[in-house]
Amino acid sequence: MTVESRRRLMNNIALALSSLAALTGLFWLVFILLDVLINGIRGINLSLFLEDPAPPGIQGGGLRNAFVGQLMITLFATLIGVPLGVLGGTFLAEYARGRRISRVISIVSDIMVSVPSIVVGTFVYALMVKPLGHFNGWAGAVALAIIMIPVVLRTTEDMLGMVPWTLREAAFALGAPYYKVILQVVYRGASTGILTGVLLSIARVAGETAPLLFTSFNNSFFTWNMNEPVSSLTVTIFQYAMGPYEDWHTQAWAASLIITLFVLFITILGRLILKWRFGGSAR
Amino acid sequence: MIKGLRKSPVDLLFGTLTAMASFVVVVLIAGIFIALLKESLPAIHRFGILRFITTSEWDPVAEVFGALSTLTGTLVTTFLSLLFAIPIAIGIAIFITEIAPDFLKGPIGTAIELLAAIPSIIYGMWGLFTLAPIMEQYIEPFLQETVGRLPLVGALFQGTPMGIDLFTASLILSIMIIPFTASVARDSFRLTPEIVKESAYGVGATKWEVVKDIVLPYSKLGVFGGVVLSLGRAIGETMAVAFVLGNNHELPHSLFDAAATITVSLANEFTEADTDIYLSSLYYLALVLFVLSFITLAAAKFFLLRAERRQSR
Repeated sequence: MTVESRRRLMNNIALALSSLAALTGLFWLVFILLDVLINGIRGINLSLFLEDPAPPGIQGGGLRNAFVGQLMITLFATLIGVPLGVLGGTFLAEYARGRRISRVISIVSDIMVSVPSIVVGTFVYALMVKPLGHFNGWAGAVALAIIMIPVVLRTTEDMLGMVPWTLREAAFALGAPYYKVILQVVYRGASTGILTGVLLSIARVAGETAPLLFTSFNNSFFTWNMNEPVSSLTVTIFQYAMGPYEDWHTQAWAASLIITLFVLFITILGRLILKWRFGGSAR
Repeated sequence: MIKGLRKSPVDLLFGTLTAMASFVVVVLIAGIFIALLKESLPAIHRFGILRFITTSEWDPVAEVFGALSTLTGTLVTTFLSLLFAIPIAIGIAIFITEIAPDFLKGPIGTAIELLAAIPSIIYGMWGLFTLAPIMEQYIEPFLQETVGRLPLVGALFQGTPMGIDLFTASLILSIMIIPFTASVARDSFRLTPEIVKESAYGVGATKWEVVKDIVLPYSKLGVFGGVVLSLGRAIGETMAVAFVLGNNHELPHSLFDAAATITVSLANEFTEADTDIYLSSLYYLALVLFVLSFITLAAAKFFLLRAERRQSR
């Protein structure tokens, strides 16, 4: 075999393997999504949304409590996490722009984004569950908020950084103080980007289970009271999937399907907005 | 940059407010460390540091706790998942940057990143009800028949295949971290200057030679950073492995043994801990996990920043 044909052969093998790798990735995605779809759709019916769980082992019932609990926890987590994240990102990109402190906090946030979420759960347990003596919905919301803050903060910082500096200078030249420039010029310019960051951070926490296990825990009954243990879809999936009843498994699959659809919908929506706003260059 | 600006009192207020909000992140990360340390103090006093991480016994009844078995589980699943994920992730990055026609680049990149968006509990469900039975019936017996016959490595594939074991957990974990490694690798590949690549093509290099001799050496620091980042992610992953590992506190002898990782033990036992020392030992595990992942993630950040700096020069 000549050197040339060996090189060509090596090239073809390597390219084929890379294409195979890409196919492997797609294969897992399709496999998992189809599996969740096929198994989940069997459990979807009206009573899933309108009824509370039946006692263990008894057929029927739904997950109304978990849907409402999940919405409450995610909503309050967003209300706590988003303002803190946006304000924090504003500090890094505006008041502390170019300073050392801005860089340090930015790096710490990047690390914080990937801190194991179960560790956040144990932390909030020590902070808000142990002193009170019982699990509560607020603790779950705070745990999710802690996971959201660094995500929102970093996106806000990046998005504000993309607003051209000359735009601020134009406003300064009109005599506007900095806070007015930020609130009325910079935020307006970056609003789509920030909104996307918020959407993606909601998608990130909506599927979280580990931080809720020790904080909002679970509740078989319907409740609006965030001072009580609050049920969530994800913790319910964990409990039902590990449980012995066939009926529980069906409902866990249905809940999985709904969570997956919700998270994927928000993620894709966020990406589409980014693409539409910033063209192909945005990642 | 904002020197000479007219200062308004409202600015002072708003500036302080934003500063406080950004310090929340620092306070949180310090707070997590302090709280975990404080809660695990009784266990640290009782079991020490070296002894805790070298004892494999985990006996809530006798109140003897050691981290060796869970730590082993964490390290083995992490290592194996990286072993599975790295070649595939790099292959995907090569495919997207060098091979795929333009109209495929975007959709395939997005599809791979959707893998990262799927909640980890979904991986867990799928692993338990779909993947584990397939592993039990087909893949693990097949591996025993083939690789299991080999000397030395064969020992890793002994035991009755149950599907609920280190091997299945590592496979699921690897699927979860492929998108992280792939997207960092892809971004590093893209930073290779076109002109250098074109020079190589100009002297007659094949695509693979350009990737192997130009792109990979040029971006190795970034790719390495991406791998370490995935390592940090894999160490702390809970729900994807909690379903398929069995939470077994015995030291595993084979990849087909049920085992436990730090995260799985926490998820399963935290709410059941009935004695103070039990809970404190679980906090001790959480502390070990936090320190491990913090160091890994900080290292990843360090490599990625250096790669960025080098390539932007």
